[in-house]
Amino acid sequence: MKERTMWEQIADSLRSRSLWMLHYCTGCGAMELPPTMTARFDMERFGVAPMATPRQADIMLITGYLNTKTLRRVIYTYEQMADPKYVIGFGSCTINGGIYFDSYSTINRLDYYIPVDVYIAGCMPRPEAILEAFNYLMEKIRKGEADGWKRYKENYEWYKQNQIRSLGEVYVHDEFHE
Amino acid sequence: MTNSMSKAVEVLKSFNPFVEEIDDREIKISLSNDKVISALDVLKSIGFSHLSLITCVDWIDDNQFELVYILFNWEDGGKILVSTRIDRSNPKFITVKELWPVARFYEREIHEFFGIEFEGNDDMRPLFLELWDEKPPMRKDFDPSKYSKEKFPDRKYEKDVIKEAKIFRGEING
Repeated sequence: MKERTMWEQIADSLRSRSLWMLHYCTGCGAMELPPTMTARFDMERFGVAPMATPRQADIMLITGYLNTKTLRRVIYTYEQMADPKYVIGFGSCTINGGIYFDSYSTINRLDYYIPVDVYIAGCMPRPEAILEAFNYLMEKIRKGEADGWKRYKENYEWYKQNQIRSLGEVYVHDEFHE
Repeated sequence: MTNSMSKAVEVLKSFNPFVEEIDDREIKISLSNDKVISALDVLKSIGFSHLSLITCVDWIDDNQFELVYILFNWEDGGKILVSTRIDRSNPKFITVKELWPVARFYEREIHEFFGIEFEGNDDMRPLFLELWDEKPPMRKDFDPSKYSKEKFPDRKYEKDVIKEAKIFRGEING
């Protein structure tokens, strides 16, 4: 890892205190987000708030399994997000496929396609685990270790090759949009 | 059995169906495949106007596909499963999109997941799968595990005995 300049250290420390989470719910893990966001667990007391659009968001939370169809949209979304961007893989489905490990349409590991900064294990992880992951991610950002977006740029060819291997083509052909 | 269902069984007598009672609101009527469309027409006219679902079962040992039309009656909540078997090696059937326009989408789905052609329904574009390059995935002879292994790489786990022993002895948190 490269040594950060003082300005980068200050910027990282400030970034970690203002995180906007892209509210993009892919799998059943989306169920755990309403209690995390609202009064019961209230993630805003840690400085994390939900955001509806990718261009203004910092964190992408992949909640659960991803099938090939969703993965295309996730890659689109991830590439639209502005730097610096962080990805949290949520639940065992993103780690090793979970109960869908032998499915014909569900991917087995997420960090093969986009870089993942923090994984949350479990099926389902509880809201406490999500808050724990946010705190861990903030810690990593402050230390300068959450560099997934840099890795994506450096190893772009490798990620693209993996995406094409599993998806055939990343470009979305959709009868409702063409 | 609700009133509408007993009426339906009465009306369909001439089709010589095999009637199976699943519970008091649901029956299954099995018919030979040349009588299904007219039976569905009759059922629609006596109140079973709602097509809940068309679905399919792959009976690979009998070399047959079973098509199931699930009809619902809004008068008294009766439900009828109209089932028929077609040849698996040449899977073709007739569309019911003239009776229920919504059937277009169910037929597209069945075509996508089982590979059954529906005569009269020309719109057979893929509905759920994108860029599918294998045989239809819901067929019993399709091996999803093999496909997943080829296409989606697994995470490799290395066994760390010393770490496991430390976790076991309570020295570190697992």
